[in-house]
Amino acid sequence: MWKEIGDRESGKLRPSLFSNRIRCNRLTSLQLSNHKEIVSPHRGSINSIQVDLTEGRYLLSGASDASVAVYDIQRATNYEGGSLVAKHNSIFVIDKQHDHGHKYAVSSAIWYPVDTGLFITGSYDHHINVWDTNTSQVVMNFKMPGKVYRTAMSSLATSHMLIAAGTEDVQVRLCDIASGAFAHTLSGHRDGVMSVEWSTSSEWVLVTGGCDGAIRFWDIRRAGCFCVLDQSHSQLGRRLPLLRRSATNKNLLSKSLSSGQNTSVKARALPKKSANSNVLKQSANSRNPSQTKGSGRQRLHPGMLSSQDRATAHYGAIIGLKGTEDGMYLLSAGSDSRVRLWDIESGCNTLVNFESARLQTSKAIQLAVTQDSALVFVPCMTAAKAFDVWSGKTMLTFRGHYEYVNCCCYSAQDQELYTGGNDRQILVWSPPKSISVEVDEWKRKGQAPAPDKDNWSD
Amino acid sequence: MEEEREDGGGGGSGKVVVVGLIEKATNSTRPEVDPRLLKAIKSVVRCSDYELRIASQTLMSFMKRDHSQVRYLTLLIIDELFMRSKLFRTVIVENLDQLLTLSIGFRRNLPLPAPQAVASVLRSKAIEFLEKWKTSFGIHYRQLRLGFDYLKNIHRFQFPNLQANAARIQQERREREMRTKEILLNKFETLKESFSSLKDEIQSTIDEISGCLGIIDTKDQNVPLVPVDDDDEMEEFRNSELRQIRLDSLREGDKVQESSENKVVFDALRELYKLLVTKHLVSVQEWISVLIRVDVADNRFRDVSLKEFIDIRNRLQLVKKKCEESGCALPNTVNNEDEDIWEEGITESSEIRTNKRSNDHDSESAPIEPRNETPCSTKVSNGNEEVSHEGGKAESNPLRNNLLAAAPVMKWGSFLDNWGSNRDFVANQRGLELEGHWGRVDYDAVIPADKIAELNVQTTLYKEEPMEIQLCRAPLRKGGLCQRRDLRVCPFHGPIIPRDSEGKPISQNSSMEKRTLELGTDLVEKLANQSLKNVRERDKDEAKKREYDKQALRRAKLAKVREHNEAVLWDAAVASTSRSSAIGDELETTNRRKSSARNKKQTLASMLKKKVTAKDRLAQRLLNTHSRDGTIKQLTLGEDANYREAFPNQW
Repeated sequence: MWKEIGDRESGKLRPSLFSNRIRCNRLTSLQLSNHKEIVSPHRGSINSIQVDLTEGRYLLSGASDASVAVYDIQRATNYEGGSLVAKHNSIFVIDKQHDHGHKYAVSSAIWYPVDTGLFITGSYDHHINVWDTNTSQVVMNFKMPGKVYRTAMSSLATSHMLIAAGTEDVQVRLCDIASGAFAHTLSGHRDGVMSVEWSTSSEWVLVTGGCDGAIRFWDIRRAGCFCVLDQSHSQLGRRLPLLRRSATNKNLLSKSLSSGQNTSVKARALPKKSANSNVLKQSANSRNPSQTKGSGRQRLHPGMLSSQDRATAHYGAIIGLKGTEDGMYLLSAGSDSRVRLWDIESGCNTLVNFESARLQTSKAIQLAVTQDSALVFVPCMTAAKAFDVWSGKTMLTFRGHYEYVNCCCYSAQDQELYTGGNDRQILVWSPPKSISVEVDEWKRKGQAPAPDKDNWSD
Repeated sequence: MEEEREDGGGGGSGKVVVVGLIEKATNSTRPEVDPRLLKAIKSVVRCSDYELRIASQTLMSFMKRDHSQVRYLTLLIIDELFMRSKLFRTVIVENLDQLLTLSIGFRRNLPLPAPQAVASVLRSKAIEFLEKWKTSFGIHYRQLRLGFDYLKNIHRFQFPNLQANAARIQQERREREMRTKEILLNKFETLKESFSSLKDEIQSTIDEISGCLGIIDTKDQNVPLVPVDDDDEMEEFRNSELRQIRLDSLREGDKVQESSENKVVFDALRELYKLLVTKHLVSVQEWISVLIRVDVADNRFRDVSLKEFIDIRNRLQLVKKKCEESGCALPNTVNNEDEDIWEEGITESSEIRTNKRSNDHDSESAPIEPRNETPCSTKVSNGNEEVSHEGGKAESNPLRNNLLAAAPVMKWGSFLDNWGSNRDFVANQRGLELEGHWGRVDYDAVIPADKIAELNVQTTLYKEEPMEIQLCRAPLRKGGLCQRRDLRVCPFHGPIIPRDSEGKPISQNSSMEKRTLELGTDLVEKLANQSLKNVRERDKDEAKKREYDKQALRRAKLAKVREHNEAVLWDAAVASTSRSSAIGDELETTNRRKSSARNKKQTLASMLKKKVTAKDRLAQRLLNTHSRDGTIKQLTLGEDANYREAFPNQW
């Protein structure tokens, strides 16, 4: 670390690189934090947690006992053991006693992406509530046709305020906060929708994963879904950067004509992509050689085409979706205990083998990705695991929960991971404090607890 | 010793050592780890971190064994190391959830393994350890806090809460002490105030008593004494006991007897004595104890008053003794005796009463009732007088007399209560007596009187004739005659036949004679005798064999004991010699370990095996189909009988 600082001082390292390195280092040393503790007021399993997107300071959690709580993760409420352990009590809790509180389990709790003045909860009591954080009152209420599994808002959106809701029902609904009505009803799934995610590159694109095993892409400006991911359409590994790829394409072309046909189609499609605003749709269609002929019909109503419409991304339900920060890739978790990495542009399965042992199958899970999309955090039964996104190798395993882990949330700002599980705990995983820092703190606060050291009596 | 040896060995051999030690330590059926082995393990892992890591891995793998005893011993070792080594703590805490799963068994799909008794001990111990760890190191390890909270809040495990309990007990004791101190102090203060009055009171009582005694004594001198002839009579009574008795009686005679004239004095004396014993003496005793226990800054008053109190007590005791000697004494004991006697009288009388009652019953049962007589003819439900009355009648009525003579004697029973009554009976559904119980009564459901009479009819009256069952009287091997009483056949000695004083059958001759008459039967008998003889011989052989077996068994046991002793001695020797036996050690240890492991494994395995108890054997016996049928039949029969008894009016 000192070497890096020296390099930075002398100008050998660029600032972004320096900060990235530090982040990386801290990330690889994540462990159960002893000095930071979130006191969970929940009496049921925690289904959803999120750190707010604007300040990175407030953590929102929703639990099965129909309660929602907000914590300040930067400032501790009280200390224990001579200021060794910082306890973060909830700032406020909303539970069944609240007048407009949910009746059944809260399955999803998200912040309004623009500021922390609002948050949205979806519950098994068929309602989506929009809350004012400061008064903790319901400002808007949407009645859904079934249990709400997941809600999502686009963090990029500048022109709409839509909550996408995945419910028991086959239709995905978009609730408009501005008008208080359902703006869209997207039909296409054959079963309930467990996971919903807005694209991180386009504010109009929504991704949904259903219990029927399909992952559908929707452009909310048009009717129908424009892409269904198919696990059998695959490419090996991540795409190469543009320039190098064209070079390899040429090589490939020269080497084998038969295999080259596919890539040549890709190459032809490239210039179109940059021109067209509807990037994904175009490219997805043109990627698929079997459908190049029928592209005209497909453009009219692609969701109706049965051969593509029946494609599945997983065997079983899609229980988790997460797009990378750059919007190029999508990670999906299925009840077949697989995690898949999809190239959004091509709509192909990248065949990265994630070494996940098992995933829980009955509930939706919440994945988290680091900012540079190097690691993905996946709840695997009682542990959470960090996989390398590109190789699928297990980098870290977070064991601490005594029951199933439901959700992960990574705070890029602090390089901290938060996990919530069925054991009603929210655990904080952070890089270890250096001993000197600890000692300094003790000195400052004036009291040190009995140090932890060997005690051999004989 | 061992560990010193291993230090030289270094990494590779060291690993073997710690694993071996742990294996040896956990391979035992005892409720604690062998302290010698534990010490060895501790000093091995203390020396190197590598060993410690290996040890933690090994311990965790042992925790997974499918045997609660192994897990229990492993847990004990883990606790020892956990309390000592920081590195060990950090390693174990990583897998704390696994450790807790394996030791507490809170997951439903992973219960604790077989020996149930050990498993429960393991669980309670694990919970205790977790609490201990949490209180000592919880601040440094989030995992400990998490595990503790999880088990406490979600699984609602009851933690022993040792620390808090101890603190609470301490607190309680302190409070109690404070309270007693305060009370003592209060008492002390009151004593300070009332000391003089108390003293005066006591003094006055003593004075009065001495006055009374004085009066009695003066009277005493008036009475002529008889000590003069005491001596010469002594000559006659050589026997010391007799003399003692006589002396006592003389002394008794010396005492002033209570009479009408001095009764007042005696009464007063008795009263005072009572006051002295029940009030003053007790209070003085109490004050003394208060003074001894009280803790005040100013000791002067305490010491003085304590001294005075002791004096007063002595004086009081003196007076008391005097009183007792003077004859007004022992009021208490006399009283007690009185009461005792009185109470005895009560019980006796009540006994008598009960006896009388039972007699009544007997006499009630006595009346003779003709079996088939219609119930309206006689009424004997109300005891003695009626019988006598009837008796009187009987003389006048010869017909009735005859009938009575012919009638059978009924045994006494509850049915006699309603003998001859003509009323209908309420049919209680539960078959209970209405008077004695509260319950639902349906007054419409009645059984008519004639039906009751019909039901009460007893058609047979069989009485077994008393007859003496003969002794078997066959000669026994150990001498003497068989004392069994069987009707026909003794299970050991065959049919009961008349025998002479030595047990020889007398009727042999007669049977011989019979032979000439009835050849067929004789042959049968002979055969039977032969077979009997054969059977007896076989029995004898078997008994002999059994004895042999027993001896062999004893010998084997002795051999085993010897072997064990040798092993123990060997152990001791190894423990005392350090380096010298190192070479031979290896070989022999392996041998010994093998053998000991086998032995112990057997015991470990035997812990798993279900012990066949008498209960099990019985159960097996009972579950046999054959016997089951039998029992079912018997039970149903019994049930029938019960039912018949319980619902006599519903049959």
